[in-house]
Amino acid sequence: MAVSSHRPKSGSTTAAMLSSLLDDTLDPAYAEAAARRGERGETARSQTLPLVVGCVLVLGMVLGVAYSDTRAEAPSSERARLALLADVQRESARSAQLQDRLEELRAGVAEAVDDALAATQEGRRQSALVRQLETATAVVAVDGPGLVVTLSDAPPEESTDPVTGEPTEAVPEAGLVLDIDVQAVVNALWAAGAEAISVDGERLAPTSSIRTAGEAILVDFRPVASPYLVEAIGDPDLLVPRFAGSETAGRYDAYRQLYGIGFDLARAEELSLAAATDYDLRYAESTSTPRFGGPR
Amino acid sequence: MIPAFALVVGVALGLFLDPTVPLWLQPYLPIAVVAALDAVFGGIRARLDGIFDAKVFVVSFVSNVLVAALVVFLGDKLGVGGQLSTAVVVVLGIRIFGNAAAIRRHVFHA
Repeated sequence: MAVSSHRPKSGSTTAAMLSSLLDDTLDPAYAEAAARRGERGETARSQTLPLVVGCVLVLGMVLGVAYSDTRAEAPSSERARLALLADVQRESARSAQLQDRLEELRAGVAEAVDDALAATQEGRRQSALVRQLETATAVVAVDGPGLVVTLSDAPPEESTDPVTGEPTEAVPEAGLVLDIDVQAVVNALWAAGAEAISVDGERLAPTSSIRTAGEAILVDFRPVASPYLVEAIGDPDLLVPRFAGSETAGRYDAYRQLYGIGFDLARAEELSLAAATDYDLRYAESTSTPRFGGPR
Repeated sequence: MIPAFALVVGVALGLFLDPTVPLWLQPYLPIAVVAALDAVFGGIRARLDGIFDAKVFVVSFVSNVLVAALVVFLGDKLGVGGQLSTAVVVVLGIRIFGNAAAIRRHVFHA
């Protein structure tokens, strides 16, 4: 069987090249070799079979290697992502576990301290002091009666956007509760005898901050939003009248009437405040003389 | 028959031995595969045409692989490696298809 190797006589070189590419798919060398053999009267012999087999073997190997290589290579980014994900999950689980262990150990320490202190008169006095300090520094959760002050932004007003002319709903500037407002209320509550305060569920420790960042108020770096629920624990019979009679309460009462700021007081019989989310011991000092036993 | 068997053995060897391909060789591997496939399809077709010649096959096999790798290598050095790879794959792919069509005509007479 002869191989037809026709090329179009006319047409551009590009067309010739393309049709040659499409038509002459068989290497012309085969036809030439066959022609040479024909001249010499030989028949096609496969005396070089080992070479052919070698080539095909090499092809097979390259195919196999390329396949396994591609399979190993392709999902590497996916595997990296999954590995990272697994790392994150493992470390978060570990972190949660350590947090649990920390709480457990803290409880154990508190218990041991109580036990050690309960032995002596002086110890009991110290124990009461520690408890008082723990409450004051918001290390422990507390509950009891108290006062709830609700501060909220004035209701939004219909107005016209000065630039686009579109109607917008915006809280008038004077009706916005700012960080200084929350600070003033909190300080007034401390002054009125509050023992523990939280703002929107964030317990205030002695080092807590209430500040504005952008348009949000941050309490200990956690954002809180209007309405701001300020819960204070203290003797309601003292706390409520003292706070209600304070200059601050009077000022915000006036703001409520003038600017529409929400300002409400409510006596609460049962409040429970969580411990402050985290605290770092930055400074510690041993008592000057070991007044009781010491470690045994 | 023997070459077909050799092909199967080669694939099995490549899969099971799983030799580590050096990093510098990795870009050329797929191109080498396509070039070798082209030579093999050409060989099969020549065989069916009755003009198979082992020497031509071996030479075309080796030179196909080397030239394809060389073209990609040069392309890499010139910053057009991806495009040249595509060009090689397109040209060889067309040839593979053409030869496969010829083989199909031989085998099925259709």
